[in-house]
Amino acid sequence: MSACRRFEQALARGPEAVAALEAHARGCEDCRGRLRLWEEISAAAPSLRKSWESPELPARIVSAVNAASPEPPAPDPEPRRRLTWIPAAAAAALFVLSMIGLYVFKPGEAARDPLSNLRAVRQPLLTDSTLSDVESAESKYLESIEKLSRLARPRLERAETPLLVAYREKLELLDSAIVEVRGQIERNRYNTHLRRELLAMYQEKQRTLQDVMKEVPS
Amino acid sequence: MPGEEVLLAESERPGQPPEREEELLAEQCRAGSAPAFERLYELHGARMKSIAANLLGDLADAEDAVQEAFVKVYRGAASFRGGSRFSTWIYRVLVNCCYDLLRKRRRRPEPAEAAGNSRLVAPATDHPLRLSLETCLRGLHPKRRAVFLLFEVEGFTHREVGDILGFPEGTSRTLLFEAKRELQRSLWKRGAAAGVAGAGA
Repeated sequence: MSACRRFEQALARGPEAVAALEAHARGCEDCRGRLRLWEEISAAAPSLRKSWESPELPARIVSAVNAASPEPPAPDPEPRRRLTWIPAAAAAALFVLSMIGLYVFKPGEAARDPLSNLRAVRQPLLTDSTLSDVESAESKYLESIEKLSRLARPRLERAETPLLVAYREKLELLDSAIVEVRGQIERNRYNTHLRRELLAMYQEKQRTLQDVMKEVPS
Repeated sequence: MPGEEVLLAESERPGQPPEREEELLAEQCRAGSAPAFERLYELHGARMKSIAANLLGDLADAEDAVQEAFVKVYRGAASFRGGSRFSTWIYRVLVNCCYDLLRKRRRRPEPAEAAGNSRLVAPATDHPLRLSLETCLRGLHPKRRAVFLLFEVEGFTHREVGDILGFPEGTSRTLLFEAKRELQRSLWKRGAAAGVAGAGA
């Protein structure tokens, strides 16, 4: 087998580059094989559909649904009322958030920096009492961010402007990074560095959510 | 739907209902109508099972996920306010149920070939790459895998895939290309090309 690298290079460049490889592939056996395989992946995909009889499933669903109670529909306010309510609630949430931030992360000089209580800790590992303080501060801070998140969610779901789409993607990335760091922290709760990383991510999330609330829908 | 007699029938290959029927269905589901849920299962049950089976790799888990999704749809139908199509929302609920199940069984290794898979009906159109493709698919990043399954296997459009998985259409296209690129490399390494392309790998 010849060692032509054109196909790999095309894969690195993107779909257009792969499509443009056809002419070259006519004269290159290696690339012809790879290109054929590329096309066959899509051709083979529908054969992965799974089908099987599950005669008991409908009855199970009925019984599970019967056992469940529907959530009451959310109240649907008049459009004009909704328009006035959302910015007011957002402003209130931002205010509460700032107050909590000040209260939780302040004590003393470094009141404006939520990371200050962690920055003050020079040791790589937290003591039991500091850990308890940090965890309590984190949970309060997280609660306030969650409130803001709930307010921003409808805007993010609609994502009417490219900027809102970008914010949504950024928040998704931040959330998955937060989950990852939290997982590491669970295995190593006393690690100061990981706590700092996590708090920096929360701050970034908070800032992004605030930007979302400031963004004017088109 | 307490107190109502519901008999659900399962169709082999669900089709996409016209948008008006779907709106009506969504309206009836919001009102908690049992026949509406019955119709919903007729239309989407088979496809939901297939998606769940491919995401979870196990038929029994797939049935659990579909059941859970229906309960969540029932509970949440009244709060569904559009923004995306009702059917797309149902699949989003299903995919989330599958991810919840995956998280719950994180410590349990994924079955290489699920025991219950002997119940599978042979695919209408088989392909020599099917088994290798299935194996390589398990190694993909979950997002790429989900996009590949929804677009290439189940035939959703990129817009629908984006709506179901919660990202823009362009991201769906990018993730699909990345998924295919990874699959191509794995399959080529495995020598799967030999049978398909007649080229030595």
